[in-house]
Amino acid sequence: MIEVTDIAFNPGERLNGFSKDCEDAGAIASFIGLVRSQKGSVDKLRLESYPGVTEQGIEQAVAQAKNRWPLTAVLVIHRIGTMGVGEPIVLVATASKHRRSAFQSCDFLMDYLKTDAVFWKHQSGPDGDMGGGEWIEPRAQDYADKNRWSDP
Amino acid sequence: MLEILYFGRLSDRAARRAESLALPEGVTNLSALKNWLDLAHDLGGALQDKSIKTMVNQSLVYEDIALQGDEEIGFLPPVGGG
Repeated sequence: MIEVTDIAFNPGERLNGFSKDCEDAGAIASFIGLVRSQKGSVDKLRLESYPGVTEQGIEQAVAQAKNRWPLTAVLVIHRIGTMGVGEPIVLVATASKHRRSAFQSCDFLMDYLKTDAVFWKHQSGPDGDMGGGEWIEPRAQDYADKNRWSDP
Repeated sequence: MLEILYFGRLSDRAARRAESLALPEGVTNLSALKNWLDLAHDLGGALQDKSIKTMVNQSLVYEDIALQGDEEIGFLPPVGGG
């Protein structure tokens, strides 16, 4: 299940719900991404999507993950809109019979989300984003992380 | 009408996220439209930057294509979420 939402979500509740639907799985791996405070300089993070295109891209990444690992279920929840420090941005959960597939596919999907998912991130400090703040693009490390999954 | 969408830092640069416009006179293809928008909004070549991807009707386009005047055209700076 894929959800791109401008409404705050509770990762614990969502993960609970997901695990109840995964009785056939022996393992669930999950990742929660939060808005990080950078020495007090970040107050707000705003994420934008391209409705339709963003969801389709995530669906394709989930399909790739399911091709690559024997997954019984996948959950991706990704926020858009404005978030404060400590708020969840993303929850990825993958369910499989065994732990390795669950760990690896969760990692794979997060690398996709960091570098290829159709989102734009804008961060701003205590003064708000009235003409200030900056757009954040993936770092070299994010691209290097994603390339770990390329076929040799 | 063309529906033009500016994402990420391009929306700051163009001072808008979207606009509807008829195909400008003399503009028949994507590259000419980019030039026209660049001049109209004083973008300083931002749309021509190699890092910007273009989607026509929500599909990535890597070459110049003819326009009918009813397309949705998105200009996408480098993406990334999480």
